[in-house]
Amino acid sequence: MKPHDHETCAERIERTLGKLGADDHELLIEGAMLAAAHRLNAHLHRLGMTAVEQDLMHTYLLTINEYRRLSVADGESMKALAAIEDLRPAFVRGDHPGGAEAAQQALQLLASLRGRTQTSRT
Amino acid sequence: MHIDAHLSKISRLERSRSRLDPSADFELWFWAAMQAGTHALNAALHHAGLSSASQAFAMQPGVYLVAQADGTLVAQLLPPGDVLHLGRPKLEGELPADLKKIAHAMEIIESYRDPCVREGKPATPQIAAECDAALQQCLALLRHRLEQA
Repeated sequence: MKPHDHETCAERIERTLGKLGADDHELLIEGAMLAAAHRLNAHLHRLGMTAVEQDLMHTYLLTINEYRRLSVADGESMKALAAIEDLRPAFVRGDHPGGAEAAQQALQLLASLRGRTQTSRT
Repeated sequence: MHIDAHLSKISRLERSRSRLDPSADFELWFWAAMQAGTHALNAALHHAGLSSASQAFAMQPGVYLVAQADGTLVAQLLPPGDVLHLGRPKLEGELPADLKKIAHAMEIIESYRDPCVREGKPATPQIAAECDAALQQCLALLRHRLEQA
């Protein structure tokens, strides 16, 4: 998908995140992950690191070589998406205590990724 | 997780979904439905004895996070407990008829995941209605199974 289309999708999801409360931690984490993936895809396409028809879905589905290659381009953003993804087992699929705090962490990671990838466009 | 924990998750996700608009918020409205359906599938699989119920959280097929006495989480290799999606991990044994229906309903929901959430395909009211109907079927089948016990 083209970078602009990824950003349009990310903005839609981010608007929805604003409708949720702190007690919706499962959807806050999932929404952060989905929006972050769209923003990272837009960024990687613009950098020429990935083709528009080769979107990244999850960092953990990449080969190790591909993860390393993309991390050379923007390691902080790759780590941010991976960190959001790592919250899912315990707090989205599972009911480990601390879901609300994990959701705030996910939103902060999304904000940092968004700031970094938007800065790169200017 | 245990069946009660899956039921609690379904309630939470349905409450979150009720706060969203199926058109303007389709992506997360849909995602909540898909996650609730997956919890229903897992609860039904546990009830049927096809997967084990335990306080272990699925990371990837065969790998689960398990809470320790000190509250930390440790990744462990375990036999099938909660599935991420049907077939991940593969389960031994024949699915009972009601579980086949739940699995089919989940296939309907998941068929819209990548097109409408990741690839930008516009979600029509018909798609939202189809997903909602499929989830309601999953939940009704689970309720019926648990009531029969």
